[in-house]
Amino acid sequence: MKAEDQVSDETRTDSRKEAGSGAGALRPVLRDNARNVVRRATSLLSNVEEALTGSYKATYGIAVTRILMGFTGLGLLLTNFNSRHYTFGVGSAWNGEINQPTSDFPQMWIFSLFHQVAATPWLFTLLYIALAGLAIVVMLGWRTRVVLPFYLIFWISFIEVNDVAGDQGDNAYRMFLLAMLFTNSSMRWSLDSRRRRRRKERAPRPIAQKYQWAPVTAHNLALVVLAFQVCAIYVSGGLYKAGGDPWAHGYAIYDPLQTAQFGTWPVLSDLLTTWGPLVVLMTWGSLTFQIAFPFLLFNKYTKIVALLGILSFHLAIGLLMGLPWFSLTMIAVDAIFVRDRSYRRVAEIFKRLCGRSNELKDPRVYQYKWPDNRKEIALSLKGVTHELNQSRAPR
Amino acid sequence: MNPSPTKSRGRIVKRLAVTAAVIFTGWHLFASFLWIAPPSALRNVVPGDALSEYMIPMFGQSWSVFAPEPINGDYYLDVRAIVDDNGEEEVTDWVRATDVEQSLATYRPFPPRAAKLAVAQASSLRGEWHGLNADQQAVVELNYYKDGDWSDRLEAALSDYSEEPEELEDYLQEEQRATAYATQVAQAVWGEGVTRVQFQVARQDVIPWGQRNDPSAQRPEIQPVPVGWRGVVIQEHQSQDAFADYFCSAPEEVCVADEG
Repeated sequence: MKAEDQVSDETRTDSRKEAGSGAGALRPVLRDNARNVVRRATSLLSNVEEALTGSYKATYGIAVTRILMGFTGLGLLLTNFNSRHYTFGVGSAWNGEINQPTSDFPQMWIFSLFHQVAATPWLFTLLYIALAGLAIVVMLGWRTRVVLPFYLIFWISFIEVNDVAGDQGDNAYRMFLLAMLFTNSSMRWSLDSRRRRRRKERAPRPIAQKYQWAPVTAHNLALVVLAFQVCAIYVSGGLYKAGGDPWAHGYAIYDPLQTAQFGTWPVLSDLLTTWGPLVVLMTWGSLTFQIAFPFLLFNKYTKIVALLGILSFHLAIGLLMGLPWFSLTMIAVDAIFVRDRSYRRVAEIFKRLCGRSNELKDPRVYQYKWPDNRKEIALSLKGVTHELNQSRAPR
Repeated sequence: MNPSPTKSRGRIVKRLAVTAAVIFTGWHLFASFLWIAPPSALRNVVPGDALSEYMIPMFGQSWSVFAPEPINGDYYLDVRAIVDDNGEEEVTDWVRATDVEQSLATYRPFPPRAAKLAVAQASSLRGEWHGLNADQQAVVELNYYKDGDWSDRLEAALSDYSEEPEELEDYLQEEQRATAYATQVAQAVWGEGVTRVQFQVARQDVIPWGQRNDPSAQRPEIQPVPVGWRGVVIQEHQSQDAFADYFCSAPEEVCVADEG
């Protein structure tokens, strides 16, 4: 109310100025307008506040992100296990990293663990396996709020041991994980959520309920950061490329696919790059999808196009260019752009396909069937209508 | 219905905290935007070096990969050695270490990171070598291996042709790494009798796009970086076994040394 009063004061001053020119009739119109603007602004603000602090968004999406991020970490560790000493440890001492690390991270004590043990093979192996164990725990979503920070610290400490072995995917992985610390990523599809379901009878502590807005806000803002980061990667990546001749003339993907490092499937590379028009389509297609990605997200249908397009772009990079873990990292965060409703539908379909019946556990599944005692249902429906009417009644 | 004072105080706390969180998030997004975008005058709105202080190292990133032009060539790191065979010195053939590592990635859906170590070393040495002047490049081509002080003599010779000796440090560091790597490769391939090594880093472009379907097309000429013979370099903590075990497990078999 206070804000509105102030604004109407201002309009009064304005109209007084205009009164001289005989525009006194404008006064109530202006006042109404100003009130309207303030009312709309306040309601917009409270809508934003409600959206930000009211409930967790993209709860299934971030769960998928958590699972895929854990899987990426685990996969990277497993596929480098045989070469762990060659790439990160005593076999790679020739690069001087053990004496003087190149990256900033090993020089910060919190991220220095793996660097300190790199020269002790058995300890390095032990920690390597422990990190893989943590990755599994992250995937499963067990005590995620506690485990995830440790996983992040150990992960950075590990991946930065040999700077040269890394790629930009490591930067993305680190920044995504950091943002994920602020999310409630184990709210769905996790051991945490199963435990919470089982303990449901126990009422939440009132203090926790009172400050529920804090974790919710952190979660939703972290989602904003993740979404922005992903979009920034795509758009900047696309724009940086757009100026180059090979991209402009549509043959850019041919060049790296012909090198040994980024053409790990030479026969496939040759096959895909023989017919020129296909190469141009893939080159321009990847550029277009990268640059247009955030703008396609605004509409439900173009969003599907964007996600499918960028998914195939990553699958192609992951397979053809030998960068599976980078691709999976990006796919993991793209998962937050799919709505909860869609995930729930997919889960239902999946459950039905697997023939797993949750009817006894989950009453929601019942609603698809016509129950035996219609009277009871009718009564409960009546109850719902009554409740709805009550909640709609003017305050 | 007036809210109780504690309730409204709670609301104020909430709004203040949420506003602070939103402002911080806004700053993070703005800083990320400035950092990811090409450097521009817009960066001046952030005072001092607050931007890089905030972004580095946690949010360090660069997305101009494959831009404006994607990589269009291979890097090679070749190694040969002089092996002492019962008092008789023998010069070995060249071995392409990059091919050995690369063979661990080809036709594998999940290539190990080990596959690109030599390529990365070749690329960074070549980069630093291009920073040398013609006189220095000529010095690098000479052999330095006699006695224990050969690397000091190399450094001194390079410094003679340098206005700012600090600039040499990066090159010398890469050369030391490459020599240490070459030593590991040589010992893995030819055994313990290695007394001297020589590496050659090179780049070769792929067949140009326009000629890709021409069966007689040849790849463009190889562009080598000529470096002379060097003494062996073994870094502290280096495990020859850990190196050789994995290097020699590659599908591209080059290790001929008789283990028995």
